[in-house]
Amino acid sequence: MLDDREPGRGGPRRREATDLYATVLEVVKRYHGAARITRVSYGAGMPVDRLRTLVERLVALGLLKAEEIDGRPAYDITPRGQEFLSTYWKMRAYIEVLEANPEDRISRRRA
Amino acid sequence: MSEMRIPRGAEVRLGAVDGDLRAESSVRITAEGTVVVSGQARFDGSAEVIGHFECARFRADDGTVVISGDLVVHEDVEARDSTLEIGGALKARRVDVDRKLRVGGAAEAERFEVGGVLEGARTLTAKGVSVGGKFHLAGRLEAESVEAGGSVELADVSIDTLEVGGTVRLGGGEVRRSIEVGGRFRSAGPLKFGSIDVGGLAEFDDSATGGSIEVGGLLTASKDLTFDQLEIGGVGRIGGNGTGQRAEIGGKFDVRGSLTLAHALEVGGSISVREVLSGERLEIGGSLDARRATFSGPVEIGGQVSTQEGLKAARIRLERKSRARGPLVGDTVEIERGAKVEDVYGGVVELEERAEARRIFAAQVRLRESAVADEVTYTQSVEVSADARVRSPPRKVDTLPPFPL
Repeated sequence: MLDDREPGRGGPRRREATDLYATVLEVVKRYHGAARITRVSYGAGMPVDRLRTLVERLVALGLLKAEEIDGRPAYDITPRGQEFLSTYWKMRAYIEVLEANPEDRISRRRA
Repeated sequence: MSEMRIPRGAEVRLGAVDGDLRAESSVRITAEGTVVVSGQARFDGSAEVIGHFECARFRADDGTVVISGDLVVHEDVEARDSTLEIGGALKARRVDVDRKLRVGGAAEAERFEVGGVLEGARTLTAKGVSVGGKFHLAGRLEAESVEAGGSVELADVSIDTLEVGGTVRLGGGEVRRSIEVGGRFRSAGPLKFGSIDVGGLAEFDDSATGGSIEVGGLLTASKDLTFDQLEIGGVGRIGGNGTGQRAEIGGKFDVRGSLTLAHALEVGGSISVREVLSGERLEIGGSLDARRATFSGPVEIGGQVSTQEGLKAARIRLERKSRARGPLVGDTVEIERGAKVEDVYGGVVELEERAEARRIFAAQVRLRESAVADEVTYTQSVEVSADARVRSPPRKVDTLPPFPL
């Protein structure tokens, strides 16, 4: 459920696979080790079956870890997951910097 | 304790209920005044309540419960796999909703935990707010900690900490301790904060005052920005004046007004200050452009410096092949090999090999091999190495002309 609007461009930006992975990681991070798949699905705005596939991939990549709590899996972000998020957001920002002139953005806002 | 049951699909009128209330799916309750349940109210599936509702504990499962009036719960609200929509105010001890919580009036609880979306049309008061997805509030938010995984849009805040994974839009207010945002942060109105750490973009549309600012990508402040420490990985832009203790910019930094620092400024790329740049120390890998720049300590420039009124510092060092436009003023000025400068004023001025200067005014002047100066005016000594040239003969004077700045 991240905001997909690009400032200065107006139109919506199509969510890429990396955006979805980042969304899931950010939501899982909020639950501090106790993220249940259903809760994450509400936070990420994604059906459980689709989310389960993404989560499995994130676990396989070492970006999430799963632990049984009360007989059910609960997820937590790993240091590699944190690193992914940090790089992802920085990269998103650089792409915006490279694609849009900040001077235009400020003058547009002032106008 | 007795339990009153409302069967599936029933429409009832209710006032006081002594004991628990259990409503099956698709019921419609019309309040006679206010529905007051002395025990637990439990909704198995969707339900609609016309009027105000009050109970000791509130539980909903697998549906959407809509209450047109106020909801007062003396203990906790728990909505599993459910959405809760309240037209009026909400007051409870703890609120835990899996899907979505929408409140039309003021909302107050010790803690709000919402898995999906929290929307409020008025004020919200809590110790803690945790939302998995989106949190939008049109009124004032008073809380200690606020966190969300997705996006947050708040009108006016008075909170201690704000931690958001995706994007934040604030109307303004105060975040007394820290703001941590993974993606994008934007404040439309004046903002005070303890510290802010944004992974991607930070935008301040109005004045902002805070402690440390750390931005991974881009920072834009349309008006004045006051800080203790500013660290920008990519590009920074301040539309007004910047005031702080120290700043470190990875890429490009542009200030429309003045930039006043108590300590160091380090810029990996370039910095442009339309008015006055001042601080204690400056280290810059690329270029500096300012109307005037003054530093009480050392200045090291790797690329180009361009000022209208001059650059003044205790010690100025221009690295190899760098360029300076505008006067340089320093106790010690070192122009490294192959660098080119205009007028230089100082106590000791040294031009290394193949460095070039227009005019030099100093107590002591040294020109190394193949260095060139148009004019040298000095009070104590001049040392010109072989192959170095001074186009006009060096002139010794008792007193140097007044230095700029």
